[in-house]
This record gives sequence, structure tokens and C-alpha cells, in this order.
Amino acid sequence: MNRRIRAIFLKEVRSEMRTKSGLTTTVLFSLFTVVTISLATFDLQISPQLGAGLLCVALLFAAIVALPRTLIIEEEQGTGDLLRLVAKSEDVFWGKVLYNLVLMLITGLVLSLLFLGFTHIGVAHLWLYLVCLFGSCCSFSGAVTLCGALVAQASNRSALVGVLSVPLLLPLTFLAVSGLRVAFDTKFGFNQMNGFIAGGGLVCYGIASLAGGQYLFAAVWKR
Amino acid sequence: MLSASNLGKRFGRRWLFRGLEFELERRDRLAVIGRNGAGKSTLLKVLAGLIPPSEGKIRNTGDDPRRSIGYAALDMALYPALTVGEHLELTAELRECESRTEELLEEVGLLYAIRQPTSELSTGMRARLKLAIAVQSLPTVLLLDEPGAGLDEAGRQVVERLIEQQSMRGAVVIATNDPLERRFATHEMEILG
Repeated sequence: MNRRIRAIFLKEVRSEMRTKSGLTTTVLFSLFTVVTISLATFDLQISPQLGAGLLCVALLFAAIVALPRTLIIEEEQGTGDLLRLVAKSEDVFWGKVLYNLVLMLITGLVLSLLFLGFTHIGVAHLWLYLVCLFGSCCSFSGAVTLCGALVAQASNRSALVGVLSVPLLLPLTFLAVSGLRVAFDTKFGFNQMNGFIAGGGLVCYGIASLAGGQYLFAAVWKR
Repeated sequence: MLSASNLGKRFGRRWLFRGLEFELERRDRLAVIGRNGAGKSTLLKVLAGLIPPSEGKIRNTGDDPRRSIGYAALDMALYPALTVGEHLELTAELRECESRTEELLEEVGLLYAIRQPTSELSTGMRARLKLAIAVQSLPTVLLLDEPGAGLDEAGRQVVERLIEQQSMRGAVVIATNDPLERRFATHEMEILG
């Protein structure tokens, strides 16, 4: 990691440690989601399909709530100009993505531990589960950082993030659900190969969104 | 050091300025004057590369705009959660230049506030920090938008000193209507808006 990317990353970490806005939002959101799911399914045995869907929805909304803020906040508080003056767009992108990835991995870890603990759903393929979780976190952070950059200079940012996220995140959600339902399938009813293909697809989606995102970001960041 | 040819900027159908031509060399100090809303700040933002011109070209002979252009404006915000010192460390890392944190803060009279978050600074203290950031990389072109706004007498002397120092190494463009700041200028340009 070069020093410029590290500087952006550390700026985000310092700001977060002092304001605690992003982490508090995501952790509280995760907690509320899991508690609500566990209350609703108190006396039910959650199927792998439903479990995969619920975990994906929780991850998706946690990402949409917290991640685009890192770029939107630059425009809202008026610091975007300072960053444009002194930083290269690729350094801003990678610094923000790295921060979002760390935030998303923490959120994913907390959320999945809470989810598994509260819903008592079993994990049949731990490695597939971890690959899907890691792939989802990478893909979500890359795609949502890009969404944040695209809407940062628009007037109605919050609404636009939601609209723009749908085409970017929908294929990712399909892959995550396909992978996770195999990972949760303790009765081995699903084709396991499909799960592993979905897990691989998630990682590839993450890599593609990050690689392409850098160039798209450069085009939208400089006005 | 900095030249503009046929430079124009419009918002919608309204041209703020059009057909601007100038060339700035070392020791040149250009004062951009005009009524409120005429487009002085917009011109400085265009010169800084923050917004694109609608027509025309800007040529900057500096190697990298991150280092060769210094810009300070009243409407440029600072990170509220970061301290004064952290701002200068951050901008130095991103520009790949020497941070000179203590030297610059001493220069602008803000060394005592090095560990203070910018959310706790007054308008004048923020203006001083922005000036320190603007001159940190020893730019060849310094763009100052209303540099004296919000500053006390000591702050205005800091601005005067920085403009003098800048003149030794490059050019200065000041957007202002303040007669005190206009007297630093070697050239004047009025934007009619």
C-alpha cells in the first residue's frame, strides 16, 4: 500500500474513531436486524434458503446505510475540494475502498456471528461460508463506494444511492444467496458445485468492481 | 507560470466571464475584482482545476497541480474531526511534499493550536490553516479567494507576508474587493459577471 492510500485510509479511521458515526450505525443496524429476525422466527427452524436470503438482505442494507457516506460526506461537509486539490483520484478511491472494506468486514463478522447465534442456523460448509462472506464484503464495498462517488455531487443523494445500487448490487445478491444457501445446507439437498461457483463468482465480482471502479471513479471525481 | 486563453465559464445560458486572456509570470500579482456574484471565486476555482471551464484553456507550467497550485478560499471546508497538525500531515502525504508542519503553523501564528480539532477553531484560525495548507508545497501559483475575510489585523499581516514570499517564487491571484488587498496587486482584472 502506498503512503497516499494509507493517508486517506488513516484519515477515515481517525474521523470514524472520533465521530463513531459509520460503525455505530452499522453495528446497531446489524443488531436490530438479527434481533428482529430471531423474534419473528422464534419457534421456527429457518431453512437454508431463507437463512441465506435474510443474511444477504441484512448485509446489503448495512452496506447501503454506511458505505456511501465516506464519499457523500466529503461533499456534504465541503471537504471534497480540499481532497481534489491535494490528492490523486486513484488514491482517494483505494483509500476509501480499503476503509469501506475494513468497515464491511467488521460488519459482516459481527452480523454473521449475531445471525448464527440468534437463529441457530447451522453451517455445513465453513469454507464456502467464509468465501461467500468475504466475497460479499469485497463486492459490496467496491460497488457501494462507486455508487457513493456517482451520487456524491447530486442534489438528492440518499434517494439516488438506493436507485443506483439496484442494478449494481442485484447480481451480487443472487450470487451471495446461491452460495450461502449451499453453505447453510446441512442436509446436502443443493448442488454443492453451484455453491462453490457462486462463491467464486462473488470474489470475481469483487475484483471486477474494484478494478473497473477505479477508472469510473476517476471520471466522476474530477468535475 | 500560468496562462489562460479564451477562457470562459457559464452556468446555464449565463456567461460569468468569457474570452479571458492572461499570462502570469514570477512576481506577478493579479487582483480579480468585481461585484458579489460576478464570478471571481468561480474564476479561481477554474484556475485551480476544481471546476472545468466552459471554453478555453489553462496552461500551468508546474510539474504536478497538487504541488504547483496553492488555493485558499473561505468556502473550502476542513475536516472537523482532524486536528490542525493532522491536516498538514495529511495534505503533505497526499501531495508528496515535505509537511513543514511546525514551520508553517509558526508562520501563520497557529502553532499553539497544533493539537486542536478544526471543529473548535474560529473562522480566522481556519483561514490561517487554509493559508498554511495553500503554501505548504511552495507552489508556483497561489490562488487566494478573499484572503483577508475573517482575519484580524495580525492575520492580515500574515497574508501580506505570504504574498510577499510567494512573489519571490511565483505568481499570486487574489479575488477581492478589499482596497487593502488590492494594493498588493501589480495587475487588476475586473469581472463584470
